[in-house]
Amino acid sequence: MSATYQPEFLIDTRGQVKETEAYVVGLGFCRKTGALGAGLGDGTVRIGPDLTPHQAHEGAVLAFTPDAKAGFLTGGDDGRLVTTAEEAVTLAKYGSRWVEQVAAHPDGLRAASVGKALHLLDAKGEALKSLTHPSTVAGIAFDAKGKRVAASHYNGASLWFVNAKEDKARFLEWKGSHAAIAFSPDGTHVVTAMQENALHGWRLADGQHMRMSGYPSKTRSMGFTAKGRWLATSGAESVVLWPFFGGGPMGKAPTELAGGDGVFCSALACHPQHEVVAAGFEDGLVLIAEVASGKILPVAPPAGAPVSAMAWNAAGTQLAFGTEKGLIGWLDFSAR
Amino acid sequence: MSQTLLPVTVLTGYLGAGKTTLLNRILTEQHGKKYAVVINEFGELGVDNDLVVDADEEVFEMNNGCICCTVRGDLIRIINGLVKRKGQLDGIIIETTGLADPAPVAQTFFADDDVKKAAKLDSIVTVVDAKNLIARLADSKEAEEQIAFADLIVLNKMDLVSAEEAAEVERRIRAINPWAELLHSVKSDVPIASVLGRESFNLEKVLEREPEFLSGEDHHSHDSEVMSISLSTDKPLDPERFNAWIGQVLAAKGQDLLRTKGILAYQGDDRVFAFQAVHMLADGDFIRDWKAGEPRVSRIVFIGRDLNRPQLRRGFEACAAEAATSAYETELARWSPPA
Repeated sequence: MSATYQPEFLIDTRGQVKETEAYVVGLGFCRKTGALGAGLGDGTVRIGPDLTPHQAHEGAVLAFTPDAKAGFLTGGDDGRLVTTAEEAVTLAKYGSRWVEQVAAHPDGLRAASVGKALHLLDAKGEALKSLTHPSTVAGIAFDAKGKRVAASHYNGASLWFVNAKEDKARFLEWKGSHAAIAFSPDGTHVVTAMQENALHGWRLADGQHMRMSGYPSKTRSMGFTAKGRWLATSGAESVVLWPFFGGGPMGKAPTELAGGDGVFCSALACHPQHEVVAAGFEDGLVLIAEVASGKILPVAPPAGAPVSAMAWNAAGTQLAFGTEKGLIGWLDFSAR
Repeated sequence: MSQTLLPVTVLTGYLGAGKTTLLNRILTEQHGKKYAVVINEFGELGVDNDLVVDADEEVFEMNNGCICCTVRGDLIRIINGLVKRKGQLDGIIIETTGLADPAPVAQTFFADDDVKKAAKLDSIVTVVDAKNLIARLADSKEAEEQIAFADLIVLNKMDLVSAEEAAEVERRIRAINPWAELLHSVKSDVPIASVLGRESFNLEKVLEREPEFLSGEDHHSHDSEVMSISLSTDKPLDPERFNAWIGQVLAAKGQDLLRTKGILAYQGDDRVFAFQAVHMLADGDFIRDWKAGEPRVSRIVFIGRDLNRPQLRRGFEACAAEAATSAYETELARWSPPA
């Protein structure tokens, strides 16, 4: 068969790849400079086109996000919360406990979870408050306005007002262990990924529960599309999208994109403006899918290791992906 | 995709039995390996080469309708964190608190897919205080379960008991768990190599040890609730029959069954199948080929409470490929949930 179809991968024409040899925990773009950043399992934060390494942690980076104003915010298994721009600066040390989750909001808010505690810090790195939960926090998220922060844990999630004088959580209850957590962009829904290969959601107005199940593995990566119409999720052989419009997702079937070859989607990132999702799979394949048309653009061929992190820049012109084995690729879609 | 799985040693033992002494010995000995040690409270522990991880024992129920299906959520997070580190660890040692039920720790390694991809249970080691064990067995269900779950039992503080007392303690341990290996010690002074990297969950080794205890009778004494049953057959099993039957047995009886292990010979298959379960959670795989001339005997052992040997034996034997279909259906129906 000489006429085997060879897809053209965009990485070959519009991108570049680098090998770091350490687990890519997180990727993102600096809010100030737009530079690419990566947090790795060797404790480094790499910044810029040369992936210049900064030793942010002694062990591994466990959590990574673009920091509130500039640089990158990381939590490590050395118990430290660090921000890295020109150099790594320790914002807080939490003893022997791991800093397992981080989040940041452009208004200057930072959040870090250590065991059952969720610590909030301001733009200067001053501690604002510590919020305690009934069990270990496994996921944190700010709402789009930075007014509320949500934390997932056993048997549900807790919703806090950042500026409340008296801290009292609204407890969103659902039995089981909840990990990854996301706010819908309009702040009306909270969704968690559960231990049992399912998602759970709450409509905040009336506490309506939403159960989204049927996954063959755990959802580790999820996000809402730009206008919040779809929740895109990993954990299945396709990118599974739940409709958050027209009364959904209750009673609606999800849309599936880019399925069919029996390999699980392991990471994804929604485009910041368009209803487009970039998805990475466990064999290293990376692609872009348009929700409305189902059209697929191949980005990178299967390189072997599962894709563990993905991110778009704010303008939606650059895409980065990284794998568990340390490959980092990024592409520029802007006109040339 | 074959990846080396991190071997996990679980260290249990009642308060004051000598568990921490053993852990300190492991940590201070120059073994040239790097372990991650998961403990509940930081003491003066922590040695240059090893990575000490502070954890809370956070047990939660899986939402699968089975109340005995509990796992340690903190271990799931810790193992997911450890796999991100650069530089290979040689293993993980998990110390449980004295009163802990070992089941959730063991079940974590069956229940979570990410954990299964990264790590495997190597052995459950239980440290026992020879002087106080009999009193503990009388007042604590946990002490009994820790023995029932063990692959290796370190019978510690042997200097404090007479020969007669030692024999009685051993008899009590054997009544609960006849398959575990037993080591005597004074101050938890057992060779580290006998504790780590044992491959106890390599079931073959466990069952190879079995004949010395296999007297054909059940190990059950009136002073203990937990008993063990061993069954064997030289008739090749039908895999579908066995899977359906053991599935029903575990579903119906999983709460009482602490551990189940088996080495199975399937009809028309030249490979050895190894099966194991902790309560209702089961796992199994082909581990090697049967050797030429080796007797193809299927064996299964149950450790648990309130076990009916004749029922289990008839069911196991009915899984033979040549057994009558009617007999098999009767045995399967015995464990079926009421309609």
